[in-house]
Amino acid sequence: MADFYQNDLIITLHRLGNPGLERIESELMEFTRQRPVALVLPALVTEFEGEAIKGIVAELKKVRYLREIILSLGRANDKEFQYVREFMSQLPCEVKVIHNEGKRIKEIYATLERNNVWPGEDGKGRSAWISYGYVIANAQSDVIALHDCDIVTYNRGMLARLCYPVANPNIDVVFCKGFYSRITDKMHGRVTRLLITPLIRALQKIVGPNPFLMFMDSFRYPLAGEFAMITDMARTNRIPWDWGLEVGVLSEVFRNYSTRRVCQVDIADNYEHKHQLLSADDAQKGLMRMSVDICKSIFRFLAAEGIVLSDSFFKSLQVAYIRLAEDTMVKYEADAAINGLKFDRHAEASAAEAFSNAIKIASDTYSENPMAAPLIPNWNRVTSAIPGILDMLKKAVDEDNR
Amino acid sequence: MENFMELLLQPLRDFGITILQFVPNLLAMLIIFIAGFLFSRLIKLLFLRIFRIINLDIWCDKAGLTAIIRKGDVWSKPSDVFGGIIYWFLIILFLVIGLSALRLPTIDNLIAQFFLYIPRAFSALVILIAGYVFAGFISRAVLITAVNSGYHYAKILAEAVRLLLIVLILAMSLEQLQIAPGIVIAAFSIVFGGIILALAIAFGIGGIDAAKRIINAGEPEQPEQPKQNNEKKNDKEREAEYL
Repeated sequence: MADFYQNDLIITLHRLGNPGLERIESELMEFTRQRPVALVLPALVTEFEGEAIKGIVAELKKVRYLREIILSLGRANDKEFQYVREFMSQLPCEVKVIHNEGKRIKEIYATLERNNVWPGEDGKGRSAWISYGYVIANAQSDVIALHDCDIVTYNRGMLARLCYPVANPNIDVVFCKGFYSRITDKMHGRVTRLLITPLIRALQKIVGPNPFLMFMDSFRYPLAGEFAMITDMARTNRIPWDWGLEVGVLSEVFRNYSTRRVCQVDIADNYEHKHQLLSADDAQKGLMRMSVDICKSIFRFLAAEGIVLSDSFFKSLQVAYIRLAEDTMVKYEADAAINGLKFDRHAEASAAEAFSNAIKIASDTYSENPMAAPLIPNWNRVTSAIPGILDMLKKAVDEDNR
Repeated sequence: MENFMELLLQPLRDFGITILQFVPNLLAMLIIFIAGFLFSRLIKLLFLRIFRIINLDIWCDKAGLTAIIRKGDVWSKPSDVFGGIIYWFLIILFLVIGLSALRLPTIDNLIAQFFLYIPRAFSALVILIAGYVFAGFISRAVLITAVNSGYHYAKILAEAVRLLLIVLILAMSLEQLQIAPGIVIAAFSIVFGGIILALAIAFGIGGIDAAKRIINAGEPEQPEQPKQNNEKKNDKEREAEYL
C-alpha cells in the first residue's frame, strides 16, 4: 500500500517502506514478556488434507513470541483428532487442540444448553468462542490473535503485524483487524467490495450520519478474518455463531470500546484463501448465505441503536444499494484496467443483483422476527450462569490433550 | 462288606442331603439377584426421572458440584452419576442379601461387617462433600480478603489454604472409614505439623523485624537514660577509630 491516509475514527497502520520482520519480531519478544500472546486457529479437519495448513505450520515453527496456540478442531473423529495433535506437536510453543466432537467438549456444550446458554451451531463463531474460553481459563495470555487455517499465502509477517499493535504497551489499542488486497489475475472479495461497502454507504444515505455506520465504513476490509484483541475483550464481547461473525465482532467492539483504541493494520500485499461459490439461487449456501447473515447482523445492530427499520426503509435501501453498487463497479473496473487485471462486468453485476436479493431476504427475515439474534453470550455471563464452567473447559481440553 | 459299603455310601448320601438342603438357598439367592437387578434398574429410572423433574443437573452446575465431578474426569451428567451410584449401591445391597440366603457362617459374618460399615461410609461421604464446600468458601474468603488488602500472592495463599483444608478433610474421611487409621493420623500429624512448623520458621525469620516492632510497640516507654556517658563513650570510640 502506497498511501498513509488516516481516517477520522480508527487508527490505520500502513506498510510503509521496509518495516523489517526481524525487528518487529524482536520487539514482540520484548512486549510479550509483559503481554503474552495466544494464537487461536479455528479449523475443520478437512483443512488438514490441503496444503495451506502445512504452509501455516511451517511458518509458525519459526515464531518464538507466542505463549500458546489453541486450535479449535471441527468435524473430526477421535482418530483424526489424534492425527491433528501429532501434526501440531511440531510447533515450538504449547499447543492445545480443542476436540469439538469429543465426548468431553460435547458435554461442555450440553452443560451450557441445559443452563439456557446457547453456544450456537457448529461453525467458526463457536470454535472461536470456545477457544477464548480456554484462553481465559488457562490465564496465561493477555492478547488473543486469530486467523483462519486456509490461507494459501500465509507468512509469519502477517501474524507479527497483527499482534504488534495490541502487544505493544506504547500503542493503546485493544482491537486490531487485518487488511489486505485479494487479487490473482482479477479482483476477489466480492462480498466486501460489492455488498458491505455499498450497503453501509446506502444506509448512511438513508439514516444520515451515524457513528456505527461511520465506524464500519472506516475498515478497509471489514470481513477480514484476521484480528488481535486483548483477552478482556473475550470476556465482554458476544460472538455471532453464523456468517455474520466478522460484522458482529466489529459491532461488539464498537459497542463496548472507544473507537480511538481500535486499529486496522496492513498485514499482507496479497491474500489468497479458499473461494466460495456465489450460489445466487440458493440463500442457504455459499456467499448468498453469508450475505444474508451479514445483512441481518447489520440490521439488528442498527435497530438496537434505535433506528426504525420499516418496510419503506428496506425498499429505499434496496434502490439506494443497487445505485451505489453500480457506481462502485465502475470504480473497480477502472482500478482493474490500470492494474492490468481482468474484470468481468457481467459477473460483477450478477453478483450485485444476487446481493440485492440477499438484502431483501435478510430484511424479510428481520421483519418476521427482529429479536432472533444469533449471538453466543459473552464469557462473563456464562461464568455467572455456571460458575465452574471455565474449570470444566480447562479440564476437558487438558484431558483431551494428555 | 455291608459296613464297608455303608462307609462309602454314607458320605454320598450326606452330600446329596446337603445339596438338597442347599439348592433352595441357591435358588433363593438367584431369585434375589434377579429381582434385585430389576428393582435396582427400576429405582434408578425412578430417581433419574425425579432428578430431571427437580432439575438436579442445573442445580449441580450452579452449585459447583458438576465441576467437582469433572475434576475426576467423569463426563456424564450429574443425574446419571448419582443414578449410577444409587444403582450400584442397590446392586451391592442385593448381592449381599442374596449371599446371606446361602446361610453360610463366613458370608454371614462378612454381611454383618458390611452393614456395620455403611454408616461409616455415609459419614465419610458427608464429611467429604461438606468439607469440600467449606474449603471452597474459606479459600474464597481468604482470596477476597487478601486481594482487598493488596496482598500480591493472594491467589497462591487462597490455594494453599484450600489445599491444607482438603488434606485435613481427606484425613478425617479416611479416619472415619477406618482405613489404616494409625498411619493416616501419623501421616497427617507429620504433614500438617511440618507445614505449620515451616510457616512458623518462615514467619520467624522473615518477620523478625516486624515482630520486634510489634513487641516494642506494646512495651511502656523507657525513662530517658542519661546520655552523657554514652555520648562520651561514642566520642572516645570515634577518636579511636580515627586514630
